[in-house]
Amino acid sequence: MYHNSSQRKYWIFKSEEELEQMRCKANQKFRNKTLESGKHGVTESMFLERHEEDVLFRHYERRLLDFCNAFKPAMPKSVVGTAAMYFRRFYLNNSIMEYHPRIIMLTCAYLSCKVDEFNVSSTQFVGNLLQETPAGQEMVLEQILEYELLLIQQLIFHLVVHNPYRPMEGLLIDLKTRYPVLESPESLRKSADDFLTQAAMTDAGLLFSPSQIALTAILNAASRAGLNLMSYLTECLGLKDDKEALSKMCDTMRRMKNLLKKYELPKPEEVNVYKQRLERIHAEFATSNKWKSVTLTLPGWQQPVT
Amino acid sequence: MDDQGCPRCKTTKYRNPSLKLMVNVCGHTLCENCVEMLFVRGSGNCVQCDTPLRKNNFRVQLFEDPTVDKEVEIRKKVLKIYNKRDFDFPSLREYNDYLEQVEDIVYNLTNNVDVENTKLKMEQYQRENRDIIQRNKAKLTREQEELEELLLLEQQSNEQRRLEVLQEEQRQLQAKRKNKQALLDELEQSQLPATILLAQHKVRASQLETQIEQQKQTVKPTSLFSTGINMRQTVSLLPVPQIEDILYHYKPLQVQTYGPTVPELEHLSRLGYLNHVRAALPQDTAGGYTSALACYRAIQDAFSGLYPEKG
Repeated sequence: MYHNSSQRKYWIFKSEEELEQMRCKANQKFRNKTLESGKHGVTESMFLERHEEDVLFRHYERRLLDFCNAFKPAMPKSVVGTAAMYFRRFYLNNSIMEYHPRIIMLTCAYLSCKVDEFNVSSTQFVGNLLQETPAGQEMVLEQILEYELLLIQQLIFHLVVHNPYRPMEGLLIDLKTRYPVLESPESLRKSADDFLTQAAMTDAGLLFSPSQIALTAILNAASRAGLNLMSYLTECLGLKDDKEALSKMCDTMRRMKNLLKKYELPKPEEVNVYKQRLERIHAEFATSNKWKSVTLTLPGWQQPVT
Repeated sequence: MDDQGCPRCKTTKYRNPSLKLMVNVCGHTLCENCVEMLFVRGSGNCVQCDTPLRKNNFRVQLFEDPTVDKEVEIRKKVLKIYNKRDFDFPSLREYNDYLEQVEDIVYNLTNNVDVENTKLKMEQYQRENRDIIQRNKAKLTREQEELEELLLLEQQSNEQRRLEVLQEEQRQLQAKRKNKQALLDELEQSQLPATILLAQHKVRASQLETQIEQQKQTVKPTSLFSTGINMRQTVSLLPVPQIEDILYHYKPLQVQTYGPTVPELEHLSRLGYLNHVRAALPQDTAGGYTSALACYRAIQDAFSGLYPEKG
């Protein structure tokens, strides 16, 4: 359950500033490492800034979601959510310049399928990469398998991710049972779903618990439909007497809504420019890094999963 | 089984497996016939090692390897002298040292290593510990006698039992024969019709049988347990030492969910939750699934971690 999960203990942070600090640290670490390695033609201007990294991150995140949504057979929502969370957590402690997001994104999806018990063979998985030839798919598969262990390491082996989809179902059931004031909670479902998909593209998963995200989704959908569900909070969720908790709850929801509002779609021109720079960085530095970073290549890990 | 033949007549052993091999003090084997032959001629030397031998030194071989037999003989002789027991020594270490000494001696004598010195050592030891040896010898004989007595007793009681059983059988046979004879006599002499007589006889025979059965089943009360303790004897049982420990007190597990309390699984249907969950199909319920389980999980997930962190 969420309350004694590793997600609550290790992967929930206090504020967006803290997250930003961690990302800056990762960025700085890569810069220092490359500067120290003493390669020729290294200039400060070659590195990506934080906001540039952010744009690229969002771009690749969208690509990940598109890949998962176009996946054959249909990927359950929890698998998509888990993959997105892995992607986000990985780039909390690592810089985009160090590991190319294209491979990491596929590795996240692959690992998420395994962890969430959505059984897909490796060949079937790479078969979904429609733009590649079968030989190209083989190569991608090899790369995925190489990076898989690294990904797990960087997630500190905390592989279970609690997504807000089931809490949302539970809240809907609760609403239907205990809150007859609201006539048709089902009408809120679609809007709440959209909210959740949008929230998956923000840092909400790293700051709030999944049940809080689900509650915010439902309240948002209700307010958009013009209904006030505050009495649900006070009556049914037992927050009547606890003023402090109630205000904190409202605060949380406000923060979450802000996060969603702040989200910007990555602009294609910017993306292309930064992508080129990223490719250049990877071409220069990453080739030597690739072999160093995968520290524990045990032979067993290289077997494709059937 | 017989991979070695008699060294003298070689063939005889293979042809005649019942022939026994004899071993002597030098450790070499000779079949019975060859032993006879050797001492008929008057020369008493071993064929292989040429040591002078006496006829009565030959013993029947018990082990396949003659060296083992040789060692056994030597050991018997050595232990006649070195017959200290474990309680003769103040510490375990010394007893073990003594035993090691004995083994060394036996080894030396068996493998003809340093025989002179060993023999000297033995004589010295014998001289030093003469009285202890005597005492132990006496003790040993006493123990052996006791054992023999027990064995004798057991044998005797077995014999007795056997005899009794035989006698019982005899008696029963006789009784049966008498019965038959009586029937024949009656058939001859009495005036009653034959059927009645037969019936009477049958009754008597069955009575006899039951009597025999009962006798077989009556167990003679014994006065001894199998361990040898008399039945009347009270055995003192020391009280088992009590181990005092803190009594375990069950405390139910408290789990902090950081959210509203979830209703119990059993109450879900009563509270009306199950109306809003997809009902379980018959093939689901066969495996033990109920819709309450899915509902419970969803509610748990919805409420877990809902309250914001304090502070």
